[in-house]
Amino acid sequence: MSMTQHAEPAVTSPPAPGPKETDGRTAERPLVVRLLARPEVGVFLGAVAVYVFFLISAPPVRDASSMANILYQSSTLGIVTIPVALLMIGGEFDLSAGVGVITSALTAAMISYQLTMNVWVGVIAALVVSLAIGFFNGWMVVKTGLPSFLVTLGTFLILQGVNLAVTKLVTGNVATDDISNMDGFDQAKKVFASSFDIGGVQVKITVFWWLLFAAIATWVLLRTKYGNWTFAVGGNKDSARAVGVPVAFTKISLFMLVGFGAWFVGMHQLFSFNTVQSGEGVGIELIYISGAVIGGCLLTGGYGSAIGPVFGAFMFGMVQQGIVYAGWNPDWFKAFLGVMLLGAVLINLWVQRTMTRR
Amino acid sequence: MDRSSHPRSRRIAPVVAVAAAAALTLAGCSSSSGGKKSEEGGANASAGKATTPRMTVALVTHQSPGDTFWDIVRKGAEAAAAKDNIKLIYSHDPNAGNQSNLVQNAIDQKVDGIAITLAKPDALKTVVGKAKSANIPVVGLNSGLSDWKKLGLMEFFGQDESVSGEAFGKKLNDLGAKHTVCVIQEQGNVGLTQRCDGVKKTFSGKTDVLYVNGTDMPSVKSTITAKLKQDSSIDYVTALGAPYALTAVQSISDAGSKAKVATFDLNKDLTTAISKGTIQFAVDQQPYLQGYLAIDSLWLYKNNGNYMGGGEQPVLTGPAFVDKSNVEAVSKFAANGTR
Amino acid sequence: MTDNNSGTHGAILQDTVPAEKDGAIVELRNAGKAYGNIRALHGVSLQVHPGQVTCVLGDNGAGKSTLIKIISGLHQHTEGEFLVDGAPVRFTTPRDALDRGIATVYQDLATVPLMPVWRNFFLGSEMTKGPWPIRRLDIEKMKKTADHELREMGIVLDNLEQPIGTLSGGQRQCVAIARAVYFGARVLILDEPTAALGVKQSGVVLKYIAAARERGLGVIFITHNPHHAYMVGDHFSVLRLGTMELSAERSQITLEELTNHMAGGAELAALKHELSQVSGVDVEELPEKEDLTAPVAASPEGTS
Repeated sequence: MSMTQHAEPAVTSPPAPGPKETDGRTAERPLVVRLLARPEVGVFLGAVAVYVFFLISAPPVRDASSMANILYQSSTLGIVTIPVALLMIGGEFDLSAGVGVITSALTAAMISYQLTMNVWVGVIAALVVSLAIGFFNGWMVVKTGLPSFLVTLGTFLILQGVNLAVTKLVTGNVATDDISNMDGFDQAKKVFASSFDIGGVQVKITVFWWLLFAAIATWVLLRTKYGNWTFAVGGNKDSARAVGVPVAFTKISLFMLVGFGAWFVGMHQLFSFNTVQSGEGVGIELIYISGAVIGGCLLTGGYGSAIGPVFGAFMFGMVQQGIVYAGWNPDWFKAFLGVMLLGAVLINLWVQRTMTRR
Repeated sequence: MDRSSHPRSRRIAPVVAVAAAAALTLAGCSSSSGGKKSEEGGANASAGKATTPRMTVALVTHQSPGDTFWDIVRKGAEAAAAKDNIKLIYSHDPNAGNQSNLVQNAIDQKVDGIAITLAKPDALKTVVGKAKSANIPVVGLNSGLSDWKKLGLMEFFGQDESVSGEAFGKKLNDLGAKHTVCVIQEQGNVGLTQRCDGVKKTFSGKTDVLYVNGTDMPSVKSTITAKLKQDSSIDYVTALGAPYALTAVQSISDAGSKAKVATFDLNKDLTTAISKGTIQFAVDQQPYLQGYLAIDSLWLYKNNGNYMGGGEQPVLTGPAFVDKSNVEAVSKFAANGTR
Repeated sequence: MTDNNSGTHGAILQDTVPAEKDGAIVELRNAGKAYGNIRALHGVSLQVHPGQVTCVLGDNGAGKSTLIKIISGLHQHTEGEFLVDGAPVRFTTPRDALDRGIATVYQDLATVPLMPVWRNFFLGSEMTKGPWPIRRLDIEKMKKTADHELREMGIVLDNLEQPIGTLSGGQRQCVAIARAVYFGARVLILDEPTAALGVKQSGVVLKYIAAARERGLGVIFITHNPHHAYMVGDHFSVLRLGTMELSAERSQITLEELTNHMAGGAELAALKHELSQVSGVDVEELPEKEDLTAPVAASPEGTS
């Protein structure tokens, strides 16, 4: 390397520091405080507070089978809340998830019945449709750059209308026909809608699937490349693209995961109730998003966890059923739900603030 | 900017292979039971067509999207329209303000007759007046038993929700029930609230009200289960719609309760349940008849100046109780989706 | 270290003979970029040699960002040639540039503020262990490597888990540079690293540029501050209105000449005659045209 310089450069490289030197300016905070600053812990405490509240004011809650019922309610919300939370960490919203559940169930029911097929064919067809809807949402968001709130609002309205109109067109009714006597129904029911006896209590299988999906989602989020990409794409997608993260792939696949979650709950619903009403599903998409936010996911993306939303969904199930168990005047139901949720969120927020105060 | 360097043919071959495999698999996957193939060709009741000049009639109800009950009303109306050479315009909105806009819409289209449901009579008063000034005859159905005459409607077909609720409550007394829970699937829905109020009025036992989220069936199931566990003295679940009754049956088994189920309105799965005994009875207002008569009456008035009910009294279409003793006769029609 | 995949993502590559020891790693010959009928850049020629710092100077709007985006793979050039290791290339994504050993530190640093330092450090190039489908991040190794690399550059952080947004501006720059040095392997592009920093922090960054040069990297240092440039640069190119106005080795130009050039000294000298005819303007201090002796890059359009 020839280095004939007009003048020696004024700057040379700095000496490397010793191996054990530390910055010395940040004091190590106690373990308890550090734990409490994590997003999951705040919502966990909120969930515990709500549970204790209802343990005291609603005696039937102390029963193990009531717990099973509450967990069932939480699990049907929770299974879709998990991918919705992952998507939120990735910086996007999906408002079409609620009606997407029904679209999936309707597809499976109608294809099986109208073509007189083994119901598993309908199940696979529904999976393809749900993944396609997810792909459509993701592709539109990535290609147009429009806010996902708008794109999925459009999809939400389209699916709402399609659910009603196509069901009417195909079956002549607003609900699908009974498929419980068709081939494959019993097998599918075992997978999606059966229950287990645990210590004398019937626990629905969706609870296990919910916890399994949560465990897988957490592992993927924290321990894989894909999880790192998810955080990056939600935190600052331009930075992510600049360092070589496949932004389009990550976002589209996150939307497709929501499609998968919607499919799963749609199948559960179909095999539990045998028929599907075409007008259902509206309004639940906001509960999924709330569950994710209560669970510690930032609305703007880039931060959150997959365990927090588990507690978020539990809180919803707990409050919704707890009010009934407590026997309160049902006209106040929605108001109670709102107050309890606000309370839980505030506890969560207070914990976060005090623990991360600098 | 994705310029893949794979030549086209390398990507097509595996896709074709997968598609072929899928097609073969599908061919072998038909179901040996149930399904459309086993359905007997059930057509709606139909007859010949009238030779009178074509009329247009608007049917405007307060249906919420996807409600099975109104589906049957509509089918009745469509049957009458087919017979009478009528073009039927059906529109609906559960919000009374919007419903009255839809009626105005029909007036603007200069229809020959209007049939409406009076869930909130005050909201529709003005627009009914406008229809009459435009010389369009208006009949009522389903809701508004106590208001139709005041508003100046010509005829009324139906069973007031309150009256069918009262009949329901009396039937519960006959069956010896002591404590019922009335499950409302849409908080704030006028018709549903009137049904429960009717039950409460005549039932000698205790009546509780339980709100559930009708758009989320698993939630409906859990909530009814929770209620049954909370209060084990409930011996009858009063459902306000056939799908919810069927879900209530599952909740009862989940909760380990001994309660029985009775409901308003029929559908085809419900008649099967009644004959099997899992549901005790259903109150049928004969929604098919309400829709049918509403449309037919407008044809009769136009072509022969007839009034049903003499312009004074409503024409009652119910309540018809369907239980194990008479379900046989009804189930065939329920299977068609017309009962 | 990165591995060089060949023939990926549409990069046009011929079989290359290994570059000669002093050959340019990255070279632009008369390169340009047009957006529709706006020519953002034209007639730019540049060479980057290992172990040398090439400074690219110019005021705002001169075309410096466009130049970097071409070299780093965010955009494609529409005129001229872009050569890596002597062979023409056309990058389609930043990944292509990274795979060839070209790492860029952008003005906005390309970091994700909420993510911890070690995750940011390895973003897009995470280390993994284990077979598929349970391939997982090798978190321990990544934390250790990040810590080691940062210490090598003289940055000591107590806690690598802290979100990178909580670091000071200068620290963040240094992490970004350390990241680029670790992954860059061959060419490091720095886009106005000292623009938003105070004097002390700028000094720290300049030291790290020198450190990178000592390690044998070729460095492209973009700035609008000629003093900073002169402290570390081996070669200077000045961009103006999308084209190259000056291209000189350190031996051919002094700091004063460079500064004058940057301040538009040539224009002022030409104006001097006109101004001298207007009373009230003191033209004694302004340089004469002959004083500006730095060679000017020949361009087809001629110079202003």
